[in-house]
Amino acid sequence: MSAASDLRLAHGLRVLVHAVDPARRDALLALVRDWGHQSVDALGAADVVLCDGDGPGNPNRPVLALGGLDTDQAGWLPRDAPAVQIHAALGALAAGLTVRSQSDPDLGFGAMPEHSLQGLLTPREMEVLDAVGDGLTNKMIARRLDISLHTVKFHVESLFRKLGVRTRTEALAKAHERLRNILEL
Amino acid sequence: MANEAELLTRLSAELAARAGALQGAAIAIRISSQRHLSGTLWQPDVAVASEQSLPARAEFELVMPGGSAAPAKLVGRDPGTNLAVLRLARPAAPSALVPGEAQAGALALALGADGSGGASVRLGAVNLAGPQWQSRAGGLLERRIVLDLRLERAEEGGPVFTAAGALLGMSTFGPRARVLVIPWATLERIVPVLLKDGHVARGWLGVALHPVALPDALREQAGQSSGLMVMSLVEGGPAAKAGVVAGDIVLSVNDAPAVGFRRLAGELAPERIGRKAALRVVRSGTVLSLDALIEARPAA
Repeated sequence: MSAASDLRLAHGLRVLVHAVDPARRDALLALVRDWGHQSVDALGAADVVLCDGDGPGNPNRPVLALGGLDTDQAGWLPRDAPAVQIHAALGALAAGLTVRSQSDPDLGFGAMPEHSLQGLLTPREMEVLDAVGDGLTNKMIARRLDISLHTVKFHVESLFRKLGVRTRTEALAKAHERLRNILEL
Repeated sequence: MANEAELLTRLSAELAARAGALQGAAIAIRISSQRHLSGTLWQPDVAVASEQSLPARAEFELVMPGGSAAPAKLVGRDPGTNLAVLRLARPAAPSALVPGEAQAGALALALGADGSGGASVRLGAVNLAGPQWQSRAGGLLERRIVLDLRLERAEEGGPVFTAAGALLGMSTFGPRARVLVIPWATLERIVPVLLKDGHVARGWLGVALHPVALPDALREQAGQSSGLMVMSLVEGGPAAKAGVVAGDIVLSVNDAPAVGFRRLAGELAPERIGRKAALRVVRSGTVLSLDALIEARPAA
């Protein structure tokens, strides 16, 4: 994983994955392994519990809950939190910290968002961002979008400026947050 | 000094007496063996709850004030105003509710149910009493009421009263766990619709939109600097049938420029169902006109 190398956080944690939906469970297990952790089946052997939605009771281990009603857990992220955030949260929880996402939790009856026109991305910049999210280098992005390397660099710089970030990982987290600004009509 | 002490004691006693007199309006809704939500007894046989927190189920067990269990059926839910309505199998003792007006700075009592027949009480100020607003899910709320207090999750959905004991509305969580009140006027308008139809009709195009900046080359031709990009479409939905495809950038709907969500949502009011939505979209650098027929949003 190219994104993983960006983050010098704890690796090799023992993680107990709890998810009722088998497909979701498989996805979370794959994520845990991809990021260099080990999945365990016994609570006693786990450093952290990764839980899809509401988990079983109080397991006496730090829990990272993805979505769900129980926002009192030590770790709570939205259900669709990106892998990089889940990985960072697992490390932080194992170190005894509390984790919350900066973006609004799914919970909460909110007003219809109104965006400022400043800092909106263009469709091309969104394509470049997608490619960054797939772990592509600038050279690979140029090839995928059939544009010059120079143009890719131009778009990446503009992206960083608009998102107010300095690294690709940061850009992905920020962009993920923004994607909540989708309205179904 | 003696008078001041007396004043405080009296204030405290009055608040406790008020809460005691009003607790008949707070009911508990069991959602699992350990968890419950609160609800507001709106009519002797009708309870309202927070739609966003109520699990998708047809039947619930309520715990009435005093501790008796009462079965109730889900009658309807409206994500737009965050209201769910439950009908009790047997009418409860009616609680006389009078509508209250929110005033910033005034005291408010937020009641919740403790799950075994008792009530929990929170005291705070009305932090904000603003004008009407539109929710993310497209519903209209008559007033924006924010309370300066915090609630436990199990207390959400309970009644909120003024110091005089008049009902401001039902408590719910806004973003970042701020406590909002769904106002009386919204309850009065939406509950009868849910009792009758089970849902609230809303105009629908079947698209998910995200704001984007228009590339410089297009700004002049479009006459605006941003639009809403179609991120996904509901198959067979009104926009899809009109020929909209993912990646199109919507510039306007019926001449309302698509620069913000709110303006656009206004074009999809219930009375627009069955009418035409003239869409102007950008696709691969050119501006196209497409006509969609606004349909009623299907029940979730």
